Amino acid sequence: MDFLQPVIDGFGVVLMPSNLLYCLLGVVIGMLIGVLPGLGPAATIAILLPLTYGIEPVTAIIMLAGIFYGAQYGGTITSVLLRLPGEASSVVTVFDGYQLARKGKAGTALGIAAIGSFIGGTVAIIGLTFLAPLVASFALDFGPPEYAALALVGILLVATISNGAKIKALIAAAFGLLLATVGRDVFTGAERFTFGNLSLADGIDFVPVAMGLFGVGEILYNLEERHRVAQAPATVANVWPSRKDLKQSAGAIGRGSVLGFFLGILPGGGATISSLAAYAVEKKRAKNPERFGKGAVEGVAGPETANNAAATSSFIPLLTLGIPANATMAIIFGALLIQGVTPGPQLMVDNPDLFWGVVNSMYIGNILLLIMSIPLVGLFVRILRVRAAILAPITALITLLGAYTIRNSMFDVLLVVLFGAVGYLMKKFGFEPGPLVLAFVLGALLESSLRRSLLVLDGDVAGFMGRPISATLLVVFVLVAVWPMVKSAMDRRKNSLTSSPTTSKENV
Amino acid sequence: MKALSIRRTVLGLTAASAALALTACGGNVGGAASDGGEFPAGPITLTVGQAPGGSTDLIARTAAEGMADELGVAVPVVNKPGANGALATQEVAAMEPDGQNLVLLNASLITITPLAVSEEEAVTLDDLEVIKGLSQDDYVLVASADSGFENLDDIKNSSKKLTFGTTGVGTGSQLSQAILFAQAEIKGTAVPFDSGSPALTAVMGNQVQLATIQLGEAKPQIDAGTVKPIVVFSDERNTFLPDVPTAIEEGYEVPVSQYRALAAPKGLPADVKEKLVASVEAAQATDTYKAFNEKNMLTPKEISGEEVVQQWNDLAAKYKELTEKYDISLAGE
Repeated sequence: MDFLQPVIDGFGVVLMPSNLLYCLLGVVIGMLIGVLPGLGPAATIAILLPLTYGIEPVTAIIMLAGIFYGAQYGGTITSVLLRLPGEASSVVTVFDGYQLARKGKAGTALGIAAIGSFIGGTVAIIGLTFLAPLVASFALDFGPPEYAALALVGILLVATISNGAKIKALIAAAFGLLLATVGRDVFTGAERFTFGNLSLADGIDFVPVAMGLFGVGEILYNLEERHRVAQAPATVANVWPSRKDLKQSAGAIGRGSVLGFFLGILPGGGATISSLAAYAVEKKRAKNPERFGKGAVEGVAGPETANNAAATSSFIPLLTLGIPANATMAIIFGALLIQGVTPGPQLMVDNPDLFWGVVNSMYIGNILLLIMSIPLVGLFVRILRVRAAILAPITALITLLGAYTIRNSMFDVLLVVLFGAVGYLMKKFGFEPGPLVLAFVLGALLESSLRRSLLVLDGDVAGFMGRPISATLLVVFVLVAVWPMVKSAMDRRKNSLTSSPTTSKENV
Repeated sequence: MKALSIRRTVLGLTAASAALALTACGGNVGGAASDGGEFPAGPITLTVGQAPGGSTDLIARTAAEGMADELGVAVPVVNKPGANGALATQEVAAMEPDGQNLVLLNASLITITPLAVSEEEAVTLDDLEVIKGLSQDDYVLVASADSGFENLDDIKNSSKKLTFGTTGVGTGSQLSQAILFAQAEIKGTAVPFDSGSPALTAVMGNQVQLATIQLGEAKPQIDAGTVKPIVVFSDERNTFLPDVPTAIEEGYEVPVSQYRALAAPKGLPADVKEKLVASVEAAQATDTYKAFNEKNMLTPKEISGEEVVQQWNDLAAKYKELTEKYDISLAGE
């Protein structure tokens, strides 16, 4: 009971009308900015920060947290409807989400995503409530070698989740890895592939790459298609996920919640890898994996659940250790400091009202988001009824505007156009942009972690196996990489065994 | 909705000020400030070369708020991150000197980064008119709890192979540790992280034994006892860490802090500069601004523009001399 008392008091804090109002305000803002690609929660919170100076710390943080996880909900909408993933963790949602939308099942995709997000978020909050202090140290055990191993597993997953030709996926992924090397080398300050252009000094941002390859590339491709065949706007059939869809997704949502919760604790890249892993797991488990990439409902449910669970569990290092896991958390960290509250190990003891108020507000926020999503799904799917001649330019405009807002720079807008052309050519020649974008994101993580590990381990590669977590991850990597080869070798042997008697009979 | 409309306003204002700058270039078209008209002629854009939410950005936003009240026009903060702020600084330096465009400078960009990057990328104060100094942000060397280090002597006497985290190449964090360890003859491998937070996390998890972090970031962990402060790199003890000695007290010549100042393109009319200086001073006098410094553990360093130029150029020369003396290369080792 001693443990539960502050938790219950926390609900008392949340249920105060002003806090409920700010929670609602936060999730609404979050959802809206989530819909706009480019303008992320980090920038929004930074801009709104001065408005929170005058209000109670707990109220302020409830609102800012709401913006953060609300944006995760909103991000799904553009991924599914317009093929515009706003951040790295929703790239995999595009694969099946957009295909579902094209089949007139956008409502199914969005509905499943909303339900999955709600369950994933709620599971992660329950985890946060009961396990936070226990699992927090997990984030500290992850040093450079562990990140390097994790990124390696992630890149392997990129190869396994691709649909269509394996060799083309590998080419695209290799190109993505190459793009990740652009920019000033963070270890020596040397310029790499920047051509003396300062705008490239920090490398290429994720948003122009994803927006260009997915969004603009698709628009260009469709324009060409339309000249050949008159294409009717996608019909919007069943707005709601059917009972069959729900049943099919239940397992994916459960697994996504757990994956997302644990990987989300890791600062940097956790959410992306969790969505990737969730997709890979679902594809591996599916009876007929060829459905994936063509509109499999689990392909939306798994990753969407995982990235929402990860968004919630990324509060764990902040609230229990005082480590901000991503840019948004860093700003919330700053907001807490300005309010005179020090995030860190003492937070739960010194400010139980704030700690539990914020944690419990997420239960409410998630319910609010679910309630809001239901009528909005019906509204959003109508976007697809808009004629392509009108929708395409609007999409292009949103994309370019979104790219501009990241750094207020025209350079990024030009990048979107460039990657749009690349995306169009890729689609024309049968390359999927997914592996490129994901390898691009993970490549930067892999390179910096590997080089950092070698510095920490004093150049000793064997050191990777001397650390339990990195060793385990590397074993997983080898198993996942080698298993398909072993399996196909065994299949071939079996086939040759069963087929050889027939051939010998024929010979006789 | 609020977020959207604010963002739009900011965008709109940027566009408006860009348009103003353009008309000013084109000659006597429109009513820009350089026509001898009133200053300020519309909103003043404060460009920040760092992402929103970081300490530089927050300083800019707090100062902008006070300046806007004083000048009676909006002072929108526009973030243009890239190349440690070099991108934003070069962009503003090339604009019309009408006072409508300002930039927030980090001293490290002028004093330390040139030691790590090629000459043509290095930024100097020559193209800028510094308006006013803002504050000083100190670096503190912290050791992980597991390392057992309590002071500099423990580190010097350690026989273990040491690794120390830095917040990146060409930062004060890298420079201060490199000079200190060279002078104290401590052997160790520098491990660059992307910013302060991952470097601090690595010390907390004992992935590296030491790291130099900005005080505002490290303070919560110092208070919680998860990391141990060893020395600060300022000239004098930091008021927020009165018990921690400076490196200078310990007998090492390592005067490294982060300073910030406001600047405009070179060639600002004297009356415009006067108004801008007055507005910054008014902002610095507000309670909000003072409380902000206090909470972020920033020491006010509200010196005049000329003093800023003098101090930063002196520091740049000093760092160059020290790195040459101890044969330190910030670009790879």
